[in-house]
Amino acid sequence: MSDTTMTKPKARRGFGFYVRIYRKILVQDLKSKMSYRADFVISTIGMIMTNLSGFVTFLILFKNFPSINGWDYYHMLFLYGFSLIALTPVQCFFDNNWNLRFQVQSGDFIKYCFRPINVFFYFMSEVFDVKGLGQLAFGIGTLVYAWVHIGIPVTPLVIAKLVLFLLTASLFMIAIMNAAAATCFWIVGSGYVMVIMFRFKDFAKYPSNIFHGVFRILFTFVIPIAFVAYYPSLAILESENVPVLTWCAPALGVLFFYLSYKFWMLGVSKYDFTGS
Amino acid sequence: MKKHTFRKHKLEGTDKMENAIVMKNVCKDFKILNRHEGLKGSIRDLFSRDYKTISAVKDVSLEIARGEIIGYLGPNGAGKSTTIKMMTGVLEPTSGEIMVNGLVPYKERTKNSERIGVVFGQRSQLWWSLPLIESFRLLRDIYMVPKKDYEEMLELYRSLVDIEPILHKPVRQMSLGQRTLSDILAAFLHNPAIVFLDEPTIGLDVSMKAKIRSLIQGLNAEKNTTVILTTHDMGDVDALCKRIVIIDEGKKIYDNDIEHLKSYFGSYRTLRIRHADDTWEERVIDETKEDVMDVIMKKQKEQKIKDIQLQEISTEEVIKKIYENSAASKESAAVSDVAEKKEEATV
Ligand SMILES: Nc1ncnc2c1ncn2[C@@H]1O[C@H](COP(=O)(O)OP(=O)(O)OP(=O)(O)O)[C@@H](O)[C@H]1O
Ligand SMILES: [Mg+2]
Repeated sequence: MSDTTMTKPKARRGFGFYVRIYRKILVQDLKSKMSYRADFVISTIGMIMTNLSGFVTFLILFKNFPSINGWDYYHMLFLYGFSLIALTPVQCFFDNNWNLRFQVQSGDFIKYCFRPINVFFYFMSEVFDVKGLGQLAFGIGTLVYAWVHIGIPVTPLVIAKLVLFLLTASLFMIAIMNAAAATCFWIVGSGYVMVIMFRFKDFAKYPSNIFHGVFRILFTFVIPIAFVAYYPSLAILESENVPVLTWCAPALGVLFFYLSYKFWMLGVSKYDFTGS
Repeated sequence: MKKHTFRKHKLEGTDKMENAIVMKNVCKDFKILNRHEGLKGSIRDLFSRDYKTISAVKDVSLEIARGEIIGYLGPNGAGKSTTIKMMTGVLEPTSGEIMVNGLVPYKERTKNSERIGVVFGQRSQLWWSLPLIESFRLLRDIYMVPKKDYEEMLELYRSLVDIEPILHKPVRQMSLGQRTLSDILAAFLHNPAIVFLDEPTIGLDVSMKAKIRSLIQGLNAEKNTTVILTTHDMGDVDALCKRIVIIDEGKKIYDNDIEHLKSYFGSYRTLRIRHADDTWEERVIDETKEDVMDVIMKKQKEQKIKDIQLQEISTEEVIKKIYENSAASKESAAVSDVAEKKEEATV
């Protein structure tokens, strides 16, 4: 018989492999998105409007409460910008979570399980949401504006800290959405769960010390919204008295992300692939 | 030749590389939760023990040699797709053993998927917005197909079917037929040892069906790929399969050559009669019960006959008979069940 049927030793599919595959899918996807120009323009406009209205709401709120729990206008703006940037990766790279429950219910999800690559990666790689990029630009603008007014010094160390803690913050939001999406493997009406979790992200742009008691604990350790902007941003805003939770954030972020990934994959292994 | 006899004498455990697929007493049960409505209901479901069990596959044993094209047949809900899902490693059997290319598919799903290709009819696995050629390139990278092998495969495709019109078309703009064709091509691209085709010709027109059949045949001949084909179209079976396996309600009820099956119904003939108004009447006759000449004579007394054809029973009719027999035997079993119960009651 032909030797093609013999197992060939193959190169390992490591990190580099996945980066390469992702880049190729992304390039192709962007190309095809550009070819639907009207669609592209409309969604860009929609995205700008969404961000603008969020921003205006925020300003109006601030006209009425010039300071919240000791946070002044520019600190609040900083937090707002920080949260917008931190929410970009979940929007850009993990947006397919929103389609998970439909694909699971229809049985279309099965296709992700026939390839010799990580199911989670394959699933997420399929959608790159361009709308997130506008949010990123908006967030950067706001952050820089607030930064200048607060007068935080720009040193390599601060920049490194900023990048690290932005990444940390985004890991928490990704983890929350992964876990929320994965509930569809067990419950039918899981749409609620995602929508509620996604709503919670609006709390991210307020200092978490406005919450008390049970909510404080809930938003810190159960649904870690306080880590989506508040705790990580303190690493930049505070020069001393940085809370311990801020320093723990990077490790906790990785942990939460890992747990959410495991939960997602557990769902896949428990799923019984409905449909013929 | 020598090699062949040698293979036959090998012990069971060692022949796992010789057979593409070995299944031993495989069962699959689905536990179905009786679900409740709404958010409250779904939270209740999380802790509910209110299950019913469906046996989709019951004690199926099967050996499939390399290079075979197997027709895996059965009525709707027989358990065909469930079997394929187990062989591809996405479902774990409730009990029994499966070996695919010498691997336990569920335990080594990723490794298994390197050497299989899968098509589920009407459910495309390609990147929806990308032109087919870009999907091919991505698959080449994902399966790490050497450039030379990839080029050769494309050449082979070109020799078997006209791929140029679809190669640069985004999948979302394709017709169902073109999409199915693309999916089949994509499934063979990394030259897998086994390809699973679950109803690949569903919803296709006659000429596309013919195209796809000859493509599958060509690829099987050229690459010695084992093909597991489920279909409800006996035209596919006639064109492609020497051996067929039939399951019904999860149980294997037939596993042999198609010729053997026909000889089983060897006494059956299809009689076709053309009436004066040029309409054809068709009838399956069991020669052990009825004489063909008698039937014709009787008909002739009733009306004028213009033409007569006597044919060997078609695959379609044979399969229909098997399904009917299987259903009938179940019914009679059920009837005797009831009878027994009644007896018990009267005693
Ligand atoms: N995920 C699932 N959960 C519960 N029951 C299932 C599931 N998948 C299949 N079944 C049941 O198992 C049985 C076999 O289904 P399967 O899809 O394997 O049939 P099939 O032979 O492929 O039928 P068809 O020809 O209609 O495609 C059916 O009774 C079906 O309802
Ligand atoms: Mg099926």
